[in-house]
Order: sequence, then structure tokens, then C-alpha cells
Amino acid sequence: MSNTDTTAELANFLAHSLELESEARQRYDELAESMAGHRNLPVAEFFRRMAAEAEHHLQEVAELAGDTILPDLKAWEFDWPEAEAPETSSYEALHYRMSLFEAMQLALGNERAAERYYRGFADASDDATTVATATRFADEELGHAAELERMMTALPQQAAQLREEDDDPHMPE
Amino acid sequence: MSKRHLCIAITGAGGAGVISCGELLLQAWAHEGGRGLLRKAYGPQIRGGESAALLKLTDDERYTAASHYDLVVALDWDNFSRFEDEIRLGPRSWVLCDEADELPASVLAARPTVLQLPFAELASTCHAEGRVNMLVLGVLGRLLGLPVGSMVELAAQKLARKPQAYRDAATACIEGGASRPMACDLPVPPTAATGACYMSGNQAAGLGALEAGIRFVAAYPITPASDVLEWMAGGLEQLGGQLLQAEDELAAINMAIGAAFGGVPAFTATSGPGLALMTESIGLAVASETPVTILNVMRGGPSTGIPTKSEQSDLNIALNGLHGDAPHLVLAPLDIADCVFTTGWAVQLAQQLQTAAIVLSDQFIGQSTAIVSEPRRYIPATAAPATPAEGAYLRYKLTSSGVSTLAAPGDAGHRFTADGLEHNENGTPSARQSDHQRQLAKRQDKLADFGFGDDWAQVNGSGPLALLCFGSSSAAVNEAADLLAERGSPARVISLRLLAPLQTAALRAAVEGCSAVVVVEQNHSGQLFRYLKGHADFPQAVHSYAMAGPVPLAPEAIAQAVTEMINP
Amino acid sequence: MTEAIKLKAKDYKSEVKPIWCPGCGHFSVLNAITKAMAGLGINKDNTVLVSGIGCSSRLPAYVDSYGFHGVHGRGLAIAQGLKVARPDLTVLALGGDGDGFSIGGNHFIHACRRNVNMTYIAMDNEVYGMTKGQASPTTPMDWDHSKLTPHGPGVRPFKPAALALASGAPWIARGYSGNPNQMAKLIAEAVAHPGFSFLHVMSQCITFCPEQTDWKAIVTEHEGPALANADEAAKVFLHEDGFQTGLLYCEPRPSWPPVSDKPVDGNALAGLAASFRV
Repeated sequence: MSNTDTTAELANFLAHSLELESEARQRYDELAESMAGHRNLPVAEFFRRMAAEAEHHLQEVAELAGDTILPDLKAWEFDWPEAEAPETSSYEALHYRMSLFEAMQLALGNERAAERYYRGFADASDDATTVATATRFADEELGHAAELERMMTALPQQAAQLREEDDDPHMPE
Repeated sequence: MSKRHLCIAITGAGGAGVISCGELLLQAWAHEGGRGLLRKAYGPQIRGGESAALLKLTDDERYTAASHYDLVVALDWDNFSRFEDEIRLGPRSWVLCDEADELPASVLAARPTVLQLPFAELASTCHAEGRVNMLVLGVLGRLLGLPVGSMVELAAQKLARKPQAYRDAATACIEGGASRPMACDLPVPPTAATGACYMSGNQAAGLGALEAGIRFVAAYPITPASDVLEWMAGGLEQLGGQLLQAEDELAAINMAIGAAFGGVPAFTATSGPGLALMTESIGLAVASETPVTILNVMRGGPSTGIPTKSEQSDLNIALNGLHGDAPHLVLAPLDIADCVFTTGWAVQLAQQLQTAAIVLSDQFIGQSTAIVSEPRRYIPATAAPATPAEGAYLRYKLTSSGVSTLAAPGDAGHRFTADGLEHNENGTPSARQSDHQRQLAKRQDKLADFGFGDDWAQVNGSGPLALLCFGSSSAAVNEAADLLAERGSPARVISLRLLAPLQTAALRAAVEGCSAVVVVEQNHSGQLFRYLKGHADFPQAVHSYAMAGPVPLAPEAIAQAVTEMINP
Repeated sequence: MTEAIKLKAKDYKSEVKPIWCPGCGHFSVLNAITKAMAGLGINKDNTVLVSGIGCSSRLPAYVDSYGFHGVHGRGLAIAQGLKVARPDLTVLALGGDGDGFSIGGNHFIHACRRNVNMTYIAMDNEVYGMTKGQASPTTPMDWDHSKLTPHGPGVRPFKPAALALASGAPWIARGYSGNPNQMAKLIAEAVAHPGFSFLHVMSQCITFCPEQTDWKAIVTEHEGPALANADEAAKVFLHEDGFQTGLLYCEPRPSWPPVSDKPVDGNALAGLAASFRV
């Protein structure tokens, strides 16, 4: 593999990492705002923290990228294993009365998906720097996942019955 | 009373071309400096049904519908009964016809002088393809003293796209008819005026709208408003504007609102049923403060009603048809020429005040054609250029006038979302009491506090009696006032041009000193009367003369009714 | 010399926060629209989002462009009037299934037929969300969750793509709220298409139709190029399950209005007035 290709591969990896973390952060922000608007404050607070963590990662990746010229990809030009970037919370899993435990479950899924993604990138790459960086990111995601699991053991696992409520939905228009 | 006008009805069925005959006669009369009005009456068929060209030649421009005819030219008597309500004859009337032995009973009963002329035979003598209507044009032109060449030339212009033989036949018949003297003594009014225009109210309204800046029209066909839209289509193309034929009136009003939001002055025209469909979205224009002008050419209602006849019965819906508290503009042109002024004024008010303006014309002035002096134009006072606001742009900013700066897409940095939901100054939806009250007040104050000037009404005459009307009733009411004055009851006539916001103070001042007010209108329930009773709070006794269509308001009937009201 | 700052998707969002339920598919459409705008590098000042009434119709306020939140069912009419009057603008109309296919159904047909150069995004969640979950024209026949139709609407659901095709829409695509990146690409292509482009988005309603979370398992991606033949497309649109995503049909035809070759006449007004003079 030529030197140019190596740089291109790393640049591609960094571009994907930036997008992954940026998407994760924006989605967590959006969910936090939305949950706050629906008065689910513990979950809103949790998503806000997850957004901050993603932002922290984003900054790390940005720092690592430094002046490297990254490919300028449009939202739909990234190559993800699934429809959205791996750490981005899927809308289907949400409910305004979701419990903190469920929110953490969702986040745990995100962390694991991110880990799998980074690990897979490392496995598929021949470029030493890319392999090392991707492996480090994967290990970090693994660490986050473990931390989330630890937090979750302290929480009651109740879930579905919380979504039941007495009042009908509102009719805003 | 000196008679200063001549009324001629030309009737016929089956594509006889009576309307063309009437139009050419009036145009030729215009070329001689005459004044006059042409109303058109039709049966329900699209083609081949009976029609009537109802001409009134005058020496002034007070165009009331004739209630009595000096001359009826019947190309045939098929279904003449359809027009019996409108074409009244008397012992001094003349009837010119081909089939003198087939006179309807109602015509015979009036005991007119009947002149028989073998139209069909004469026309075919003039030319193998000779047409009766052109022969009659020649005959009538001679009676009026019109030059044959003028009629021939006007006919040639009108028939320019017809085959040569057809045009030759027309020329031959006009000349043949004009060579035929008739022993018929008609009171032909003098013709001395110059500088005239020949136009229908619908065309005049279209002209006024384009001159006032309209460059987008959304159109859904409806009688009697379609011809406004048709006329504007050609003009817009020349001006680089656009006309969009909509799928229905719901679309038409919203297309106009969309264009207006884009900063392009927008307009639509309709009639009662269409206005009913548009009302929800007119409310959107009011709430979102998007300028739009709707010309409503009134016809007989309710429901499909009488589409081809005039009535002033959409006042209620124009004033009150919008749900919620939705202050907007309602104006009414007083006559055909005034359609230019009032429609232009409405457009400019809608633009300036960022709201909806409904213009209430009607079938009578909309579809009648008249010879008028150069119509007056609304000349807006030059407004001081808007100073750019400090700080962030607030589309619905509360200002002393109630009017906020209106940006349009493309304006840098003024992005906003217009909304029919109640909103705050920024345009963000809000159900808060404070926002609702402030925005309601803003939308009301910008109209209530605006200086509309002297054009809110036309006030004529003086006297202890006030006759109040709006829109096209004006001519008939003014003529009724003349009759009353001759009979010793002088009256002042107040013809309202601006119906909403009602200029209450000016209106009360206008009737000051009067002992009685009579509200005259062409509808069944006294819509204007009720509106004024509710809003103007006159100290005088207020009477109502409300007469539904389809027959036009008759000055004599008004004068008699008013006399009875004030001398019970 | 200044270099234009490249805007990111989030730069196209306004400060107004959505009222939608967490988990609502419309968040995804909002993201897709802003991603498409960023991808196209579109000028915010020259873009207008127009809507009717309903949950999805709240969207224009959430985008930092010009917007018009109109009345129920009439967004397409406003958008067409705007685009015809101002062809220089990028115009997107959007709304829900009730807004577009029920109360606004006639405008949908005629917008497809008229082919004005604009984009219409119908955010279909098969339910009236703003009025508490009644059946819409696209609700399955046996969906019995609404008190209004306790045994289900009992009426065949409407096929938006088939109707669009029959009405003459030259560009028909389908997106899914679970895939905002694909949707963003479709929106970018829709905006670039020189005519009326109809994007039907399956956008889940977490509140009234929680079963729609199952859509993720049944959506498919259309393989190969878009159909360019209306006969073939008709067969597909009449018989498909409605969960095929991607650009499904594209057969460009001249948009309306045609560019006028008549010169604009500065003196036309004087001429028009003069035409009445005797």
C-alpha cells in the first residue's frame, strides 16, 4: 500500500469518526431537548451528559485530525454498516416516558455499535496508524459501555408499564 | 322632467348576434362623442339561447339600468317572455320586428307603435350570406345619425378573424340597413363629449389592479367574474407577470397568498360561491399579514343562485365571513369607471396595510360596458421609505401604526415563518393571552388608525334626507334623489366606497342635520342597513329599502318608497 | 477575497424547538432536510418551506429559512403560487398524509399534473396526530385504535405513489424516517430535479401507531435505476407493499410555466389603458 493510500485511508477513517461523533452528539442534544420539553428530566439530563461525552470525543478526533485534509463527504456519502452512523440513537427506540434504564440501554446499544464499527475498521485496515487509532477508539467505546453497564445495575429495570397513562393525548390543532 | 336618454333593447335567439349588434352600435355612438351603457341579458343556454342587448344612450355618465324602453328591436319573439321583467314598454315606445303578427301579449298590452321590417328578406337581398343583426345595426345607426363608414369599420375590426365572405356580408347589410329610413321619432340625446373610454367594469377592475402593481393572478373560472381574469391574462403576459389557473377557489386564494408572500402583489377574482370557499384562507392572509386582493363580482345568491344576474347580497360574507376576529378591508366600486379607482385603491391599501382586501363589484357594473370619461386613478401619497429596523428582524413587531416591516424571501437576514397560528412578534406560534391580545390589537389598529382620506364615500347633494348606499347602487340612488328633489324632498346621497373599516365618524358627520336616513341596497335582507345599525349608531330614524335582484334597482321605485317612508 | 463558510446541517436549524413527541419520525425528516440543504450548500435566504396543518406541517419554523405555515391542506397551493411568482426561489412544500391526501387531495393531484419546479415532501404516518389519532387516508383498513372508527376505517388505504403517477408527477421517490441519510440524498435530488418532485416519506408516529416501529424490519431499498416508464411504474405502484424506498420513478417532462419568449414591455400599462380609449 502506497504512502498516499495510507494517508487517504486515515483521512477517510477520521472523516467517518468525526461524523460518527458529531451525529451522536447532535442526536443526544436533540433528544435531551425533546425530553426536557416533555418533562422527562432524568432522561433529558442523561442525554445531555451523553451529548457532552460525544462532544468530548469529537474534539479529540478533531485534534487528532489536525490539519489533515479530510474528504468532504455529504451526509449520504458516508459508509455505515446500517442506515445511520453507529452511535446515533435510533428514533424507534424512543418514548417520552422512557425510563432512565431504557435510556441507558439505548446508549449502551450505541456504544456497542460504535465499538463494533471501530473494531471492524481496524480489522479491515492494513494501515498501521489507522489500525492503531481505530483500535484505541474501539477500546474507549468498550470502556463507556462497561461504565454504562455498571450504572445500569444500580437502577430498577422496570420499563413498559411506565408508558401507560391515565389522560388522553392532547389535541394541539 | 326632461328626458335625456334613449333606451333601446335588441333581442333575439339562436345566435342572431344581438350582443354584437349592441356593442357595435355603442362603439359607433362613442366615436361620435356619445355616452351610453350596454347591459347584456342571457338565457341559460351556452349557445343559441335568447339574449338581449340593453342599451341606454345618455348625455351624462350616471348609468342606471333602463326600466322603460323607447325602442325594442326583436329579431324574433322566441322566449321574449324571459326578458319581460326587464324590458318594459309603454304607449310611446316603438317596436321594430320582422314578425308583427307574433307579438307577445305583454308587448301588445303596452300598446307601442309597431313597425314591421322584413329583416331576413332584406339581409339576404343585401348579401347571399347576409345577417340580420348587421342589417339592424345599419337601421339603428341611421336612426341615431351615426356615419355608415364608422359602423362598417368597427364591424370589420370585430370580425377581423372571420372569413372574407362573412365580413363582406356584414358590410353589405350595415350599408343596406343604413339606407333604410324608418318613420320612428326617437329622443336621441346630444353627443358632445370627448376623451372617452369604452370598457366593462370587469375590465376596469382588471386595469386598476394591474396599474396598482398586481403581477400575479390566480384564477378559477366563475360567472360573472371570469372575464376579469381573462382580460388580465393578456395584460400580465405583456407585463412579465403570471396568471395561474387553479384547480378550485381554495387553491386560487392560496396561490395568491403564496405569490404575495414572495413579494409579488397578488390578486384573484371570483363570485359568491367562490368567495365562500376562499374565506378560510382570507383569514390566513389576515392572520399572517400577507397582502392580497380579492375581487368579488356579486351575483344572485344564495348557493348557485342566479349566476348571470346582479345582486348586492355578498356584503354579509365579505364583512363577516371570516372566522375569529379578522379585521380586513372591504371596498365597493360605485360604477364602471370607478372600478379602476376602487380596485387600484384596494390593491394599494392591501399592500400598505398587509392584509386582505375584498372588492365588491357586481354583475351589473362588472359585465356591462359603458362609454366613460377617462377614469380617475388612485394616486398614493409618497410614503417615506421604511427605515431598517435595529436589531433582530421581527416580522410581527408591535409598532405605533400596527404595520411591521414585511420582508420577502431573498431578503438577506430577514428569514421568518409566516403563520396562521397565533404568534408572537417573531412569528413563533404562541397561545399566550398576552401575544394573542397584542397581535389582535395590532391587526385591528393598523386598519382602525389608518387615514383613508376622503374617498371612503362619494357624497352628493344636500337636504334634510340622507340616502345611504354602497357600490353599484349609487347611480340608481342618485337618480332617485333627483326625482325626490323635483318632488320637493331634496336629499343627500352617501355612496360608500369603503365598507370596512367603516368610517363611522365621517359617516355620522355626513348625515349630520338630516332628519332621516334611508339605506338603499340590492338584496333581500337589508345587509347594509343591519351593518350600519350595528356600527354607526345614527341619532336619526333609519329606514331600509332593500330590493333583491335580479332586476336592477329602479330609481322611480326607490323614490316612491322613500317618499312613503318619510311621509307615513 | 472571502471564502463562503460551508454550512453544516445544524446551521440550517432554527432556534425554535420542535413540539413533536420524542421518537417521532418527523425529527428524522427535519434532519434529512437540513442535511440536504447543507449538501446542496443552499442559500437560506432563497429557500422557502411551505406547509399546511398537522404535526409535520410545523416543520418550516424549525428550519432557518423563509417559511409559511398555512391552513390545512393548502400548502401545495401556496407553494405553487410562490414558485410561479418567484422562480428564483427554492420551494419545498411539506405536510402530512391527512393534509396532503385528504383535505388537500385535489391540490396534490393538480400539483402533480401541473409540474411546477418544486419539491413536495409528504410525511406519512397514517394517522391524524394533532387531533388525537384518527384514521387518515393511508391508515390500514383494520386499524382499530381510534374511537372515531372503532372497527377500523374499513376503507382501502390510498396509494400516494400510484396517484402521483396517474396525475402526472415526473419524479416519485420514497423515504423512511429510519434512514435520514438516504432521505437527505433523495431530497437533494428532488430539489435538483427540474420539475415537480414528490417524496413520500414513511414517518413513524410513536404515540398513536407504536406498531410502526416494526417498519424498520420491512422497508426495502429499490434496486437499480429509477423506472422511467409510466406503464411499468403503474404496475409497481399498484401492487407494491409501500415500503420500497429510494428514487422509484423519474421521467422528466417540461415544467410549468414555460419560460416566456415574449419580451416584457415597460410601456404595457400605458398600452393597456390606451386600448380602452375610443
